[in-house]
Amino acid sequence: MAEKGPLKISAKELTSGLVHAKDVEVFIGRLAMEEEWEPLGPTPFPSIATLRSWDHLLLSRYKPFYAPFCDYCCLCTYGKCDLSKGRLGACGLDMKAQTARIVLIACCIGAATHLSHARHMVDHLIEKYGEDYPINLGSDIAVEMPHARLITGIKPKTLGDLAFLLNYCEKQVTQCLSAAHTGQEGSYIDFESKALQVSMIDHLAMEIADVAQIVTFGFPKGDPDAPLTWVGLGVLDLSKPVVLCIGHNVSAGIEVIDYLEKSGLGGPGETVEVAGLCCTAHDITRYRDQAKIVGPISDQLRIIRSGAADAIMIDEQCIRTNVVYEAQRVKTPVIAVSDKASHGLPDVSELPIEKIVQMLVSGSTPGVFLPDLEKAGAVVALTAIRMAPIRQKFKIIPDPSQIQTQASQCTFCGTCRRNCPIDLPIDQAVFNAKNGNFELLSMLHDVCLGCARCEQVCPRKIPALSLIEAAAQHKIKTEKYRMRVGRGPILDTEIREVGSPIVLGEIPGVVAYVGCANFPNGGREVATMAREFARRGYIVTLSGCSAMVASYVKNEEGKTIYEEFPGAFDRGGVVNVGSCVANAHISGAAIKIANIFARRPLRANYEEIADYILNRVGACGVAWGAYSQKAASIATGFNRLGVPVIVGPQGSKYRRMYLGRAEDKESFTVYDARTGERVWVGPAPEHLIIALETMEECMVWTAKLCIRPNDTTKGRMIKLTHYVDLYKRIYGRLPPDLHMFVRTEADIPVTFKDEIMQHLKEVGWKPWERPSIDPTLLKRLVRV
Amino acid sequence: MAMTVKPWQWGNVPGHEMATPVKGDVVAKLIKSAKRPLLVVGGEALREKWGDKLLIDFVAELAKTGVPVVATAHTYRALRERGVEPAAIMTVADVTNRLQDPSWSVDGKGVHDLAIFVGISYQLQSQMLSTLKHFATHLRTISLDRYFHPNATFSMPNLKQDEWEQVLNNVIQVVRG
Ligand code: SF4
Ligand code: SF4
Ligand code: SF4
Repeated sequence: MAEKGPLKISAKELTSGLVHAKDVEVFIGRLAMEEEWEPLGPTPFPSIATLRSWDHLLLSRYKPFYAPFCDYCCLCTYGKCDLSKGRLGACGLDMKAQTARIVLIACCIGAATHLSHARHMVDHLIEKYGEDYPINLGSDIAVEMPHARLITGIKPKTLGDLAFLLNYCEKQVTQCLSAAHTGQEGSYIDFESKALQVSMIDHLAMEIADVAQIVTFGFPKGDPDAPLTWVGLGVLDLSKPVVLCIGHNVSAGIEVIDYLEKSGLGGPGETVEVAGLCCTAHDITRYRDQAKIVGPISDQLRIIRSGAADAIMIDEQCIRTNVVYEAQRVKTPVIAVSDKASHGLPDVSELPIEKIVQMLVSGSTPGVFLPDLEKAGAVVALTAIRMAPIRQKFKIIPDPSQIQTQASQCTFCGTCRRNCPIDLPIDQAVFNAKNGNFELLSMLHDVCLGCARCEQVCPRKIPALSLIEAAAQHKIKTEKYRMRVGRGPILDTEIREVGSPIVLGEIPGVVAYVGCANFPNGGREVATMAREFARRGYIVTLSGCSAMVASYVKNEEGKTIYEEFPGAFDRGGVVNVGSCVANAHISGAAIKIANIFARRPLRANYEEIADYILNRVGACGVAWGAYSQKAASIATGFNRLGVPVIVGPQGSKYRRMYLGRAEDKESFTVYDARTGERVWVGPAPEHLIIALETMEECMVWTAKLCIRPNDTTKGRMIKLTHYVDLYKRIYGRLPPDLHMFVRTEADIPVTFKDEIMQHLKEVGWKPWERPSIDPTLLKRLVRV
Repeated sequence: MAMTVKPWQWGNVPGHEMATPVKGDVVAKLIKSAKRPLLVVGGEALREKWGDKLLIDFVAELAKTGVPVVATAHTYRALRERGVEPAAIMTVADVTNRLQDPSWSVDGKGVHDLAIFVGISYQLQSQMLSTLKHFATHLRTISLDRYFHPNATFSMPNLKQDEWEQVLNNVIQVVRG
């Protein structure tokens, strides 16, 4: 593609009648070409330094809390350097800075992954549809890409514009990553600022990837009534050939479906089952709802070993890295399509389709690398069709009758448990099976991460994961759940409807269940939490693996949350936005509330919008099973935008949280924009990112983290009703910090009025002098 | 000579300096000799067995000897039901965060010299102990779970259930006595 060449300039400060811009390094040519859809805000195309002061403001309240994973640094040849207990490395680095550096590197990996995904997607789509292909999300979405508008000041109109925005993102990721080189940054706060910068870029990259695929592939454009699809290990019709797509980049999966349809073989499920794992699965169902979702990443080994797949197509991200070996064990050929994950397979791009299929079917190669997506679509479909009668769903999960024999070598040495990421009693389960009792094995199926670390370490080579699956055969068949396919963005019309009740607090909050499947107690906890908050009238949004497992618990009538609740972004709605990259629509909705509802200028105005969201939009992310570097950058991107995030106990291994201290009143003061006075607003929200241990604790904190300084009296009362109600149910008492959230008597939930008044009296609470202010952290927004 | 112990989770090897493994009377003596101990209990205490009771029952017994307790996760209700009023309800991250600060104590009565962790899921506990190891050098930590926690100052060396329960019983007796 010929790039429209902008002129790049840098300046410390730019002031004109319309604009006051800091630390600008903008693609002036491009901005000059841009129609004046809104006056340009202060921070177009921000570089690392541009929003540094915002980061420092945030981090002066939410101080980085470090939990190092390792005492050493081993990043350069001076190392390993012991950084424990205050020691410095050979380069002078201390443990806080080193831990922050690792966080930065994780966020860079996360952002780079979404970004290269977006780049691949956009380049592929430009090749297919041309760079002038319009960005059109339908008549109900005028603010098509809130991140793009907010961060860069550009209103993208075509695929070509998206490619241009990716140039900026790529530069930022490079800049941020370079700060991690030995002898560059030395301050943990500035490492964090770069992590925040690159994670903001991550949200823009996700937005680009998802919008590109929505507009070109005809995915739902924010449709609240997007169709229902099937999810679960038991959804496949095994009488048909099965194509299994693993990964996150749906371009290849779509080629399979297109090939089947064009060849008269019908849509997914007609003659060939097309199913997926992880986000590719989400996205094939957004393309055709007859496609199916096997489950999250944790089901990958299970489904491969079950022998269900007759051809496996891998694209990128979250692919089991020994996929070729595992697939070989069940005679399933693997077709790799991304040069980021080619798994040592031979490049067959130059060979004709028939020849490649022959190679795969004959077993002369366990798989191929085929980056030509159209060709790959045909190869995958044909291979599955031809392999099905040969393979006969050959599996390595033993029959239940063989469990006891396979477990008979177990010595109950405990090695498996001591290598299980979540400390499951797998040793006991296998040992019980040796004695003929399979109950514990079968129970572990519901919580096991499917990682097979237990098998790797067993001195007796017992295939513990396969035994779990064998013991759970009877229930796996029934694992079929209804899930609404990813609907993509939130409509501007929905934002207009709910903006006011969210900002005023009358809808108690927006809760986003996002991220991966490293759950401490299985996915059902996510389903339980999501249902609880939907029933309470919160807006529940979901994405990725969490959106899948949220369907795993049915209500009294046998309905999943997607059948029980409407799909609208409204009180009590349950909104599956889609795959990981669709997370940008959740953060995008917060931005849209500030812009569409509150009419805050959007264009290149990051600080003001983030400040608005932090103080007014009661949203909270819950990444209960976050495991990946992408989840690190997604969460950190939410944080920079003022949205708090809860991670599960495994999330403590990200090794950094941003924690406030409620008793530090000074840190929870803000400006009243009307008067310029500093006013204490209570610890709302108390933290920006925190790891919690149990689901019960998580529910209480979710309700609490939705409280915002700007809540109206009625809104605060509603939010406190849920916080107090959950607290009483789980802890059996009133929250001890209630006095920090009750501003006047009118804030007190009616249902608990007497009890709360009594409690407040005991702790010496007095009505606040300034209960209603116009809160901001930014001095420049003070109007006097 | 000190025994060498493998961390409970094999991969959890933080560095060359790991917790001093302790069992038998030593555990009880360490707690008894602390001037300002703080007991931090987590959600696993509601699931782990202690004889025919739960680990939370042990925690309640220990708390009744006068050791202030911070109820993390959702352990508060169970402690109350056992007649213990915790000094605070916090997340484990919140109490760990504050323990780094030598000017903080749960009751305002002076800096803590021993943080006793018990019943907190292994990985999360390990991370919190790591924070304190690196950034709270004024503080000693001990894990009362039966799993070896290399990031603590003192930890049990992966004891068998009965041996571990004996240690805990001994703690109650000595601290009471
Ligand atoms: S980067 Fe610094 S701390 Fe790390 S190994 Fe090299 S000299 Fe040591
Ligand atoms: S590692 Fe193997 S032998 Fe040891 S308890 Fe586990 S399954 Fe049994
Ligand atoms: S496969 Fe399951 S039981 Fe085995 S180590 Fe992984 S999570 Fe634990």
